[in-house]
This record gives sequence, C-alpha cells and structure tokens, in this order.
Amino acid sequence: MTKAERRELQERQRAAKAAAKAEGGDAKAKGGGKKDGGAAAGGAGGTRKEPAARKETQAAAAAAATARKDAGGGVAVGAGRVSGVHAVAEARGLRIFSHFALQRPVAAAAAKGDVHPAIVRLGLMFASFRICGANARCIATLGAFKEVIQDYSTPPGTTLARHLTTHLSAQISHLVSARPMAVTMGNAIRQLKLDISGSDIDLPEQDAKDALCQKIDDYVRDRIIIADQVIQETAAKKIQNGDVVLTYARSSVVEKVLLQAWEDGTQFSVVIVDSRPMLEGKRLLSILSRAGIPCTYLLLPALGSVIAEASIVFVGAHSIHSNGAVYARAGTALVAMLAKRHSVPVVVCCETYKFSDNVQLDSFTKNELAPLQAFGAQALQGGPSLEVLNPLYDLTPPASITAVVTEVGVIPPDSISSIPLALGRTVF
Amino acid sequence: MSSADLPAIPSQRVVEALAAKLRRRQVVGSRDAALETVFVLRQVIAKARFQNIHQLVVLIKNVGRTLAQAQPKEHSVGNIVRRLLHLVREEYNNAIKSNAPTRPRSLTIANFVLQGQPRKASLVTKAESSLVLNENDPDDPDSFAKTLKPVLMEAIQDTLDELDTVYESIGRNAKDHIHSDEIILTLGKSKTVEMFLKQAAHYHKFTVIVAETGPSYGGHEMAQSLSSIGISTFLVPDSSIYALMSRVNKVILGAHAILANGGMFAVSGSLMAATAARAHSTPIVVCAGQFKLTPLWNLYHEYGALDFADPSSVLGFDEGDLVDKVDVLNPYYDYVQPDLVDAYVTNDGDHPPPSIYRLIKESYDDEDNEL
Repeated sequence: MTKAERRELQERQRAAKAAAKAEGGDAKAKGGGKKDGGAAAGGAGGTRKEPAARKETQAAAAAAATARKDAGGGVAVGAGRVSGVHAVAEARGLRIFSHFALQRPVAAAAAKGDVHPAIVRLGLMFASFRICGANARCIATLGAFKEVIQDYSTPPGTTLARHLTTHLSAQISHLVSARPMAVTMGNAIRQLKLDISGSDIDLPEQDAKDALCQKIDDYVRDRIIIADQVIQETAAKKIQNGDVVLTYARSSVVEKVLLQAWEDGTQFSVVIVDSRPMLEGKRLLSILSRAGIPCTYLLLPALGSVIAEASIVFVGAHSIHSNGAVYARAGTALVAMLAKRHSVPVVVCCETYKFSDNVQLDSFTKNELAPLQAFGAQALQGGPSLEVLNPLYDLTPPASITAVVTEVGVIPPDSISSIPLALGRTVF
Repeated sequence: MSSADLPAIPSQRVVEALAAKLRRRQVVGSRDAALETVFVLRQVIAKARFQNIHQLVVLIKNVGRTLAQAQPKEHSVGNIVRRLLHLVREEYNNAIKSNAPTRPRSLTIANFVLQGQPRKASLVTKAESSLVLNENDPDDPDSFAKTLKPVLMEAIQDTLDELDTVYESIGRNAKDHIHSDEIILTLGKSKTVEMFLKQAAHYHKFTVIVAETGPSYGGHEMAQSLSSIGISTFLVPDSSIYALMSRVNKVILGAHAILANGGMFAVSGSLMAATAARAHSTPIVVCAGQFKLTPLWNLYHEYGALDFADPSSVLGFDEGDLVDKVDVLNPYYDYVQPDLVDAYVTNDGDHPPPSIYRLIKESYDDEDNEL
C-alpha cells in the first residue's frame, strides 16, 4: 500500500465514521463507540456497501443496532469479496502461473549497454538451449567471463577491484535476460566477485586480470572437474554386477558414473526414462549404447511397469537446497517417489558447488518454463482457453532420496546443511 | 456332456470376424469392444437353437470364450458376456419361480450360511411371470427358445441402452464432485473423463490440467476438446505432474478395467499420477462404466500382466542404428493399487474401492468368472 492509498483509505474511513455518527445521533447515542467500530469495518471493506449499513442503522433499535450492524458489515464485506472472486475468476488460470518466468523472444533480447560479444553469443546459446545443464552453463559462463576480464581495462579514476564488479553485473544481467540464472552460476559468480573485490590494488592491471583468470580456472577445476571425477569413482562403486540402473533424462555426472562403472568391468544394464519436452535421454541412450552398455529406453508414463525391476536409481541435480530437497529436471521427483515406494535406493549425484543456502518447499513457487519453439512443439488449436505449460524443473523432497553423492562423500539428504560448515563456509 | 449334445455356434462367421478384429486391435477401447460384443451376442442368440437353459448358457459361454481369448486384455468383452449370462439366468429363474411355488425363506443364522451370498438379483422380483417354459419338450423342441428369446432380446436391448448412455449416467453427479475454482488433473484421453468434466462445466468454472501422456499423447486431443467448450485448460508434459500436484485439488482418471480387489488397470502413467497425488494427499477419483468391473484379482503389478504396444512411437526408426541396440518399452496399461484410489464414480453410483468386490458379486454369477 502506497502512502497515497493509505491516506485515501483513512479519508474514506473518516467520512464513513462521520456519516454514521450523524445518523446515530438521531437514533440514539448509546453504543456510539462500538458503532464507530462497525462503521470503520464497513469502510475498510469498501465504499459501496455504506448505504446498506446506513439503512440498517436507521431501521434498528439502539440496543440491537451495534450488534446487527456488525453482522451487516460482515455480510457486506463477504459479498464484496465474493464479487471480487468472480471478477478475478476469469483471469485465474493465467494468474496462478503468472509468476513463472515468461518466454522472451530470443532475438529481441538486444544487448543493452556495454555487453561483451562473448556474452551476447553465450546468451543466445542459453536462450536456444544449445548450452544446457547446470555444469555446462556454469563452465561456459566462467569461460566467457575470462574473455570479458581479459578485454577489460580499468577506466581512469577507479580501481579494478571496485569497477570490474559493476562491469560484470551488466554482463550477468544480459545472461539472465536470456535465461534465468542457474544456481551454479550464481554460486560461481558470487565467488568471482569475492575474488575481484579481494584482488590487490597495487598489482599491475594485467597481473590482476591473469590472477583472476587463474582463480576461475581453479574454481572450474576444483569444484566441477575434479569433483565430478571423485563423484564418478565413488558412485561407480555403488553399482554391482548384475544391477539394473535406472536413470532419468540426462545428467552429465550420471553419464560419467555409468561409463566409469562399465569401464571398471562391472556388468550391469541401464534403464533410461525420458519425457517431453526435452527428451534429453535419447542423447544419453546413444552415448551409453555406443559404449556397449545394454540399455532399455522408455517414456515416463511407463515407469510404473519397470520400477520394480530396477536395483538402483541414479539422478543428477540442478541444485540442492539446505533442507535436502533436490531441484532437478522435471520428472525427477516422480522417478524418485516411485523408486522410494518400491524400496529402490535413489542416489543423487551432485557437486557441492550446487548447494543453495535457501529452503525451497515446492517447485511451484520457483520454476522456469521451457520455450515451446525450442523443442519443436506443434501448435495446438484450442482457442483462448487452452494453454501449454512446460515447467523445466521439479523439487524432489528429501524423503524420497536415499543418499547424495558429493565430492566430499556420500551423505544423507538431511545432512546437506552441514556441508558448507564442514567445508569451512567458503562461498559456493 | 458329449459334443453332439452341444449346438454348433450359429453365426460362427460373425464371431470369428469380431475375434479377428479384436486380435488385430481394430476394435480398441473398452466401450467399443463391449458394444461390438453385445451386437455379436444378439445375432448369435437370435439365430441360436436351444432346448434348455444349459444349452443356451454353454452357447453364450463358447462365444464369450472365443472373443475373450482373442484379446485377453480387453476385459470388457468378458465382462459383458458375464453380464448377459447373468441376465439370462435371471430371466430364466424368474420364469421358473413363477411356476414353482415359492417357499418362504426365513432368515436364521443356520440358513443364512446355507443360502450363501445374498444377491440383489434375488431380491428383485420381476412383474412378468407369464412365461411358461417347456424345457426339452420332445414335441416342440423350439418352444423353449421361442418363449425365452423375446425376453432375452429385451434384456440385450437394455444392456445396449445402458452402454449408450453410460457417459451421461456417470456424469450425472459430476457437479457434486467438482466445485468452482478447483484445479483438476487428468491424464491422456478418456471419453468418460471428458464427458464427466464437460458435464461439470455446465455448473462450475474450474481449471483442468491435462498431462499429455506419451507416447500416444492423447492429452493433446483431450485438452483441445475440453478447451473448445470454454474450460480453462493447461496442457503439460508428463514430467511436470509432481511439480504441479501441490496446487491440484483433485485427480480424475479413467480406467481400462476395475478389478475385484478395488485396483484398476488404466492408461500407463496413471500409477505415477496416483502415487504423486497420494504423496500430496490429493483425492483420486476414477470415472468408469459398470461394464469395466472385472472379476479378476490382480494382487501384484506383474510384468506379464502388462500389454505392450508398438515401440516405434517411443523410439522410431528415424533414430538410425540406435534402434537395433536398445530395448524400447511401451506398455499400454498401469496397475493402480486399491489404496491409491479414493472413489470410483460409475453409472451405478459412487463406490469406494473396498466395495467393488460386492458390486461384482451382484453383477455377475460366480460360475461365469471362468468363461
């Protein structure tokens, strides 16, 4: 409520009070104070039911007046609300999904201000889903930032430590306009900004830039590449001979885990579950079958028929929240839920830099819609009342996850919040 | 009984034609299969020659067995045959009873057990008792058939009418199940659910989320049909069922067959949606005609109990040599356990899963469970 609105409301209430007092005066002055309360309540509900309340006052005897007016006011408020609901009902279908990030036309996202060409290119690739997946997007972003940093020169009268962050902010907002930022990117950028602000003022500019690029390389190496290798080795040990491993869509980490286990000589087969809109599992299917792993491919609705055959479920994650909930490709929650119901262990492969500090309770409040044109969705003729929604993510509650494999070990999802502490609270 | 004693199945050609169609899946969908079966049985009975009730029952059973074996997963074929057998016996018993003096049955604990399952059918006494049945009449072998046939035709017509109006009768109470401003989730294409929602839309404004249900993507057609009459419709991929479930007020599904234990076979994806709904404590309502009640107990989700469809819609030959290397699964149906379903809405009222077995006992005779 703005100041002006609040003032208007007060004014209205005052007017209502005055009117009530004037009429209450020629009826009886007995329950004045209480009556005021009733009138004020009426006023707060809106101006349109004042006449009704006034009529009540005139008709009622003084003793009964207050009580009845209160009731009348209540009814009037209720009625006002009901009519409001009807007015909104038309737009309801839209309103409930309105918070999802809307799909912007890719070409129209023109670079505003000082945006580096590498970032523009990256933005287009993000928007068209050419680069997709939390790790790939993070690595690509950091790579582009290295270019940005190398091409950057500090304007006179400021220092690199102070100005480079604002320069980067413009690049970041361009990337966000192309596609909402991944949690991984956010964590990496936070670390980068910390490094920038901590860089030595006395260092020559080129040396400072080189140092920053080195730090970016280190971050990618330590938090993503090496982390993946550790996860790969740890998780591959969880696959036994004769296992049927079930996985959903395509996660780069899970793919590496499966290939590693196969290379280690474990004999197992893989069930790949897939779903529209992305159908990413086809890619994984071709990679795994090329490696010689026996594969079964099915769409998500068929999962109920095969889940009992699986001995372990491996899924990747987009991010993992401090309550242990895993935010991942839409459909992961369904797979995990069914697996849990059939007592099949669900293992999430996730690097620690994907941890997010906040708690998320459901995937409705924060999600992203897949652009229809990116997946060749055919146009449906259904008139104005038909809409197509393609949420990209869902949230798997910690209850349906058995363990999370990270580079620091295999932990239950409830203990996720202790990981930053164990790592000495470095920024993720 | 020697085979010479059995009359040959008349209209053998019609029966074989339908069996072939069922086998080739040219007749799909439980209602269509049920309708076709009734048509065939009507023809068979019209042309049949029989002298006693036993011959008639054996005849119908033979036809039923041929059809049911042609497509064992199309349960409604067997169901409708059982239903007709039940009607035949009912008519016969009515006629017999009117001739024989009815002995008064007092209900004591002793004969409660002896009488066995109390039936709805036995409680209903029909008015027409003018039928005089001469079984095995040596002078006029056709007299039994002649007197019984008109009554049977009437019963068959009743069954057909019931099948014709099944959607309307199921949707009769739709407005009581769906309220204004609710968000309903449904799966794929089910004619029953479609009519149910459309009938509710006359009274309330609500939103329907339709999961497209691959690989047939029947949800596309469903969403178009619902939105064409102005229902606010959202088409979503199957993967987002869990993500959206927290805002869904009710899940309404169709069924392929309802089993005696209260579970059901339904389009694949139903198990997933029902489990997700259960995880969010969202009620699950199943709309189905009474002809889908199947006297079958399926306590396990057996791999062998599934029926598999063409895998090319999941992974087609356009994927190149990949197709040769991998297994592709495309089951038609899911088995949904009774504890996942909250209510069955049928043309015979609403029922909780635990009372399904009783409905089945009332609708069919025990001796017909095995055709």
